Amino acid sequence: MRTSGLRPSLIFAILASLGFLVVVSWQSWAGNTVTLDSLLVATIAGLSVGSLYAISATGLVVVYTTTGTFNFAHGGIGVFSAFLYWELAENKDGIGLPRLFALILVVLVVAPAIGVFLDLILMRRLRTADLVVQLMVTVGLMVFLLTLTGQLWQADQARSVGFFWEGQGFFIGEFKVTWHRYMVIVVAAAIALLLRLLLYRTRIGVAMRAVVDNRELTALNGARPGMLSSFAWALGSSLAALAGILIAPEVQFSPANLNDVMLIAAIAAAALGQLRSLPLTVVGGLLIGLLQQHNAQWLSHGADWPFTRLAIAPIVLFLVVLALPQARLEVGRVATNLRPVERTTNWAEGAFGSVALIVVAIVLANGWLDFGVWDPGPWNQIALNNGIAAMVIALIGLSLVPLTGWAGQINFAPLAFAGFGAFLFLKLAGESGNALWIPVVGLLCAPLGAIVALFAARLSGLYLALLSLAFALLMAKLVYPHPKIFPTHTFADLSVGSYTLDSRYRFFLALIIVFAVMMFALVLLRRSRFGRRWVAMQDSQAAAATIGVNVILTKVIVYATSAALAGMAGVFWAISKNSIDSGRDFELLANFEIVLLMAAAGLAMPAAALFLSFRFVIEALGGRLDEAGSFGPLVWFLDSFLAKFGPGLLAIGMVVNQRGAVFEMGKGFAPLLPWRRDARRELALERERGRVREIGGLGLTEPFTGEALLEIDHELGVVDDITPAEGYRHAVHPEVADV
Amino acid sequence: MLKRTVSEKVVVRWIAAFLALAVIASACGSRDDDPAATETADPAPVASEDTPSDPPEDTPDGTEPGVTTPEVTEPPEADVCDVELEATEIGVTADTIKVIVMADSDNPLAPGLFDGARDGALAWAANLNERGGIACRTVEIEFWDSQLNQTATTNGFLRACSEALALVGTTVLFGTDTTDLTTCPDQAGNPTGVPDLAYITTEVPHQCSSVSFHLSRPGVECPYEGGERDAVAAVGAVQYLLEQNGGDLRGLFLVPGDLPSTTVSAIPQIAGHEAIGVVYDKAYGISGLDPQSAFTPYVATMRENDLNFVYNGSNDAAMSNLLSEAADQGFDVDSVTWLCSLACYTPSYLENGDKVEGTYVWLFFLPFEETDTNAELAAFMDAIDTDFPAAWAAGAWGDGILFEQVVNQIVEADGPNALTRARLLDELRATDSFDVNGWWGSADFTSTLTTADCFVLLQVQNNEFVRVFPAERGTLDCETEPIPVTVNPDTFTPDS
Repeated sequence: MRTSGLRPSLIFAILASLGFLVVVSWQSWAGNTVTLDSLLVATIAGLSVGSLYAISATGLVVVYTTTGTFNFAHGGIGVFSAFLYWELAENKDGIGLPRLFALILVVLVVAPAIGVFLDLILMRRLRTADLVVQLMVTVGLMVFLLTLTGQLWQADQARSVGFFWEGQGFFIGEFKVTWHRYMVIVVAAAIALLLRLLLYRTRIGVAMRAVVDNRELTALNGARPGMLSSFAWALGSSLAALAGILIAPEVQFSPANLNDVMLIAAIAAAALGQLRSLPLTVVGGLLIGLLQQHNAQWLSHGADWPFTRLAIAPIVLFLVVLALPQARLEVGRVATNLRPVERTTNWAEGAFGSVALIVVAIVLANGWLDFGVWDPGPWNQIALNNGIAAMVIALIGLSLVPLTGWAGQINFAPLAFAGFGAFLFLKLAGESGNALWIPVVGLLCAPLGAIVALFAARLSGLYLALLSLAFALLMAKLVYPHPKIFPTHTFADLSVGSYTLDSRYRFFLALIIVFAVMMFALVLLRRSRFGRRWVAMQDSQAAAATIGVNVILTKVIVYATSAALAGMAGVFWAISKNSIDSGRDFELLANFEIVLLMAAAGLAMPAAALFLSFRFVIEALGGRLDEAGSFGPLVWFLDSFLAKFGPGLLAIGMVVNQRGAVFEMGKGFAPLLPWRRDARRELALERERGRVREIGGLGLTEPFTGEALLEIDHELGVVDDITPAEGYRHAVHPEVADV
Repeated sequence: MLKRTVSEKVVVRWIAAFLALAVIASACGSRDDDPAATETADPAPVASEDTPSDPPEDTPDGTEPGVTTPEVTEPPEADVCDVELEATEIGVTADTIKVIVMADSDNPLAPGLFDGARDGALAWAANLNERGGIACRTVEIEFWDSQLNQTATTNGFLRACSEALALVGTTVLFGTDTTDLTTCPDQAGNPTGVPDLAYITTEVPHQCSSVSFHLSRPGVECPYEGGERDAVAAVGAVQYLLEQNGGDLRGLFLVPGDLPSTTVSAIPQIAGHEAIGVVYDKAYGISGLDPQSAFTPYVATMRENDLNFVYNGSNDAAMSNLLSEAADQGFDVDSVTWLCSLACYTPSYLENGDKVEGTYVWLFFLPFEETDTNAELAAFMDAIDTDFPAAWAAGAWGDGILFEQVVNQIVEADGPNALTRARLLDELRATDSFDVNGWWGSADFTSTLTTADCFVLLQVQNNEFVRVFPAERGTLDCETEPIPVTVNPDTFTPDS
C-alpha cells in the first residue's frame, strides 16, 4: 500500500539536509564574489555533469526495474565500453574509426551484445538467488571487468578521450557552452523521456516490468520472460556504455577512476528515484552534479577535508537511504528460496579446528613438513609478511560472519569498522603498543556498530547494502582522511608487559592464535541463543518477531558484535601495516575484495575467512614455483591470471555455487568423518533428488503431461513409484522412512 | 536446488574457456611489451650506425661538437680482473652481481603505473652487460612489483635484503616502513641495510632512509619528525619566466592532492616561487579523480582575479583539464603563462593538440629529442624500446649509471673483491656530484637537503616540445641557485 503525503522520515531528512547545507556553507564559505556569470557557469557545468550521472543512473534503474537485479557491474560495463571506444576511435595507433561510427558500434552493437551475453550466462541464474548472491555476482563481475580493462589497456600509456565537436559551442554571456555538454544534457533528458514511454506506454515495457513481479504469470499471458530479460540487459548495457563514453572526456581516463565517477553518483541518483522512478532519478543525477559544482565554486573546506567533492554523492546516498520508508515485514508471501536446515558445528569440532589451525600454521611456518619430493623449509621474512597480511584480512573478514552470514545484514564497509578500531587504539595506546588495550577497543567499537544498527534497523535487503556502501564511502572520503584522525604515525610493535611481538614470526603466531580463538568463539556464538536469533531473523523477520524475538535489539547486538570484532582486527591491521594511509587504505575496492572473497567462500562459516588469504597464497605459490624453475606456464597462470582475475571469477562462480566454496568443500569432506552419519545421509538424499527431473517449469516451458503430474506427486512425497503399470501406492519417502 | 542440463553445462564450460582464453590472449599480447620480469637482462640491441659506439669522423676524438661523453663509467682494466673472484656480498657471486629494480606496477587503480622504471633499469642492465659488465661480472636484474601497496613494498625490501647487492631505479610511493631496508644484515652479519638507488619516492621514511639515494633530489631536511622543516626549492624555470613577464606573475598552483606525501612535496616549491616574487592567489589541491568540470571554479578564480600564471605540480591530465575548461569558458588562455613540471613531458600531453600549444614544461635533464648532444642520452634512447620513454625510465637508467660509477670507484681502489654493501654505501654517501654523464644536472648525495639545480625550459610549439631556454642544444642552465625555505607541512592548507 502506498502512503500519501510527506512521511516523518522524509520531512526529517529534508530538514536535516537543509540544515547540514546551511551549516557547511556558513563554515566553509570561500568568499568568492557571487555574480550572475559565476552562478551561470557553475549551474551549466553542474547540469552537464549531472546529466552524465543521470544517463548512468537510468541504466541502473532500467535493469533493476525490469530484471530485479541491482547491477554493480554497470560501471564496469561502461568502463570497458569506453576503453573499447578509445581503441576504435581515439587510439592513434589503432584503426581510427570516425567517432560517431565508433560510438554507434560500441553503444548499439557491442554493449547490447555484452548485456545479452551476461543475461544468458549469469543473470538468469540469479533470478531466485539470495540478494547477497545477486549483489556479489554483480560486484564480482565489476571487479572482473575492471581488471580485464586494466590489463588490456595498462596505465603505461596515458590515454584521453576527446570531446565531441572538439570544444566548439555557443556563448551564454561570457561562458561557452560546448556542444558536447549541450548534447549530454539533451541526451539525458531524451533518454529519461523515451525510457518512461517505453516502460509505461508500450507493450514490451509493461511486460518487462510485469516479469519482475511475476515471471510465470506474465509468461502465461503470452510474454517471453527470457527475451524480455535479455532486452533489458541489452538496454542497460547500452546506457552504461553511452554514459562511460560521454563521461570519459571529463575525467582522468583510468578504469578505477571512471568506474568511481560512473557508479557512485549513479547509485545515489537511482536511490533518489527509489530505484523505479526515472524522472526522480534524472533529478537526482542533476542534483548531485549541481551540488558538486556549486560546492567547488563557493565553498573551501581546507586541507582537513581533501576529498569533500568526492563525498557529495555518498552524502546524498546516505541521506536518501535514511529517508526511505521503513521496510515492511514480508508476510503472506510464499518463500521461493528456503534455507535448508543446516547442522551447526559443535563445540568439539570447533575446538579441534582451531587447535589444528594453530598446529598447521606452526608446522608450515617452521618448515617441519617435508613433502619428500620437495622440502619447503621454514618461511622466510617475505612469506611471514604475506602470512601476516593474509591473517589480518582474515580477521577483518570474520566480522562479516555473524552480521552478514548469519543475520543477513549486508555490509560493504568492513574496513570502515576496522579503521575505527585502529583510530581508537592510536588514541588509547599511543606509542606503547600495549595489547591490553585491544579488548577495550573492541568494547568501544561496539557502540559504533549499535549506532549504525539504529540506522539500519529501518532497512533491509538492497537498501541496507546501499546504506553500508554510503557509510564505507563517507568514512573513506570524509572522516578518515582528516589529519586529526590518522596523523602521520608509526604504530609500535604489540606488547604485553615486557613481552613484545617484535619479530614477524611472533606476530604471525599471535595472529593465528587470535584468529583461532575468535573462530572458536564464533562457533560457540552460533550455537547460542543469539546465534539462533540472528539466523531466524535472516530467514524471516516477521516469523522471528512472531515468536518473540526483538528484531531491533537483535540487530543492534549483531552489529555491535561485528563492529567489535572488526575494530579489534583493525588494531592488528594497522600494526601490520606500520602506518595507516588514510587516502588509500579505505578504498571501496578494498572493502569489496574482502566481502567478495568471504561471500565466495561462504559467509556463514567462520573458517571461510581463511579464504581471504587467497591472493597471498596464490602469489606465494607462484613465487616458490618460480624459484624452483621449470614451471613457467604454471607460474604465469598463478601470478598473471589467478591472482588478478581470481577474486572476480570466484564471485561470479557463486552463480553455480551460491553457498560458497568452503561450504561445498565441507559438504564433500564431512561424509568421510566417522561420526558424521548425518552428512552421509544427506549425501544419499541429494543423490536421490538428483535423479528427479525439475518440475518448476511445467506448463510454462515444459509440456504438462500425465507423466509430469506423477512426477509432481513423487516430488511432493505422495507416491514414490511412477510406473503406471503398477498404479499409485502410498509413498514411503526416504526421509519419512528415516524418521 | 540448482540443476543444469547438459546443454547448460556445455555453455558454462564454453564461457569459462572463453574468459580464460580472452584474458590469456590479452596478457600474452602484452608480454611482448613486457621486458621480462624476474630474469636476467636481455642482451642490448646491436648498436646502430649513429650510436656513440660508432663515432663520426668529423672531430679528432670521434665525437660530435658539443657532445658530452661518459667520464667515469668505463669498466676497469682487464688486469684488474686477473684475480680469483669471490662471492663478497649477498647478491655477488664470482660471475654475477644481482640487483633489484622495484616499482609500482600492478594495482587496481593504475595498472602498469611505473613500468617505465622497470623498462629503464632492464635496458640499462642489458646495455651494461653488452659493454662487458661491471666489476668483472655480469649484472643480473630482477623486477619486483611493489603494487602500490605497503606489504608488497616491504616484501621488495626483504627480497633485496636476501638476494641483491642493491636496489636500482626504485620508484615506489608506499615506502612507509624502511626498517628492513636500513637494518637488514649483510653477508658479514652487520646491520648494514641495502643500498637503494632510487628515482622517486614520496614517503618521509623512504626519503629520509639512511641507505636511499634519490636521483631526483628530495630537497628536504632529514630526519624529520613533524613541524617546521628546512627545504630547498628549484626555481630556475619560474625565475626565467618571471623575468620574461617583467616580474609580474600572479596565479594558481595546482597541488597533487591524492596522497598526503604528494601534497607535502609541493610546499617547498610554493614557498620557493613566492620567495622570488611569484604571487599565488590560490594553491588548489587537485585529485587525480577530478573530472574537467572540477576545474570550473578555478577558471572563475583566474578570470575574477585577472591571474596570468598557472604552475601545475600535478599530472598532465590536470593541466590539460584546466586548459580545456578555460578554453570552454571562453577564457583567454593566451593571456596566461602555463608552466608544468616534468609530469607533462609525455606524448599524451601533446595529444591534446592546440589546447596545450604555447604551454611550458621544465625538465632537469636534457630532453629526449637531443640524442645527438649527449652520448649517455643517445645510449639510453638506443637501448629503450620506445620513441618517447617515460621519465621514470630515464630516472632508472640514471640510477644504473650511478651504480656503475660507484662500483667502478670501488674496483679501481680496491679491486673486484672489495664489493660489499657497506663499501657501496660509503661511496654513495661521499658522492657530491653526479650528472649521469652530462645528461642530467649535477646531484649531490652528501645531504638530502639538495635539489636539482639545473633545468631546461621547453615550450609546446606546433605540437612538439621545443627548447626555449637555454637556447643552446645539449645544455642545461645551472645559474639559478635553489632557494632555501622553511616550511611547516602540518599547517599547510591547500585550497579546495
